[in-house]
Amino acid sequence: MLYLRDRGQTEVGGFGIAAGDDLLRIEDVQLVRQTCTSVSVVFDDEAVADFFDRQVDEGRKPEQFGRIWIHTHPGDCPRPSMTDEETFARVFGRADWAVMFIVARGGQTYARLQLNVGPGATLVVPVSVDFERPFEASQMQSWEQEYCANVTALASPRLTERSDELGFVEPDLIDPFEPDAAWTDDAWQAYLNEDLDPLCERLPYEI
Amino acid sequence: MKILFINNDGGGFADHIDVDPQTTVAKLFEQRIDGGKAQDYLIRVNRQPAAADCVLHEGDRISFTPVKIEGAGDR
Repeated sequence: MLYLRDRGQTEVGGFGIAAGDDLLRIEDVQLVRQTCTSVSVVFDDEAVADFFDRQVDEGRKPEQFGRIWIHTHPGDCPRPSMTDEETFARVFGRADWAVMFIVARGGQTYARLQLNVGPGATLVVPVSVDFERPFEASQMQSWEQEYCANVTALASPRLTERSDELGFVEPDLIDPFEPDAAWTDDAWQAYLNEDLDPLCERLPYEI
Repeated sequence: MKILFINNDGGGFADHIDVDPQTTVAKLFEQRIDGGKAQDYLIRVNRQPAAADCVLHEGDRISFTPVKIEGAGDR
């Protein structure tokens, strides 16, 4: 997961594959085809369906592969956003249980177990690497292939694009360092031509 | 007749079930996804998106999988 998180400049997401005898022990992370920016990740619906088909064909039950939703966050904050909460409720709210697991780029983690049966319950669960069980060696080459096959990185949305969506009118922007910027000559010339204090002949900016 | 049914709701399901002949996708959805909204699922029969009135046949594989899974970090 850390390799995938740090592989690019965008968020990335996938499903945790749990052990058959311990559903909160993640043995693997599988990406699905997704479109990502530095602040978002969107799974491709067909790819999710293909992932389910593939996992079933490999003999796993949905509770092993479809309950632990993992994604990364930029920066240091792993706490779920409104979008995360909306997705978790809508997509995983009808399962008996599910986990939202977020890994921030700064290393912080957040894992919340949601129990949807009976009276229901929400538990923030600790996250740790289990070194007591056997695990495979690093597989960077296959991780790289998986990343390249599934992750489409888009440029992050600019604030101006968001402003356009909201109907804001962006003011005319002038680069003050453009040689033909209208104010440059006049403003600086006027500034430099100001009468200097005769008692201390120094340029104003030295004050 | 038997079909393979895949679904993540409830306890999750990926097994063969018996359905009546002439069962449509819509009818199975109604039977299996109590209170769910069809727009929240990608419904596929034999790995292809299927219409509500698609009639199921012996040996078909039908899956109801979630759509619009998206996350976002705070800017």
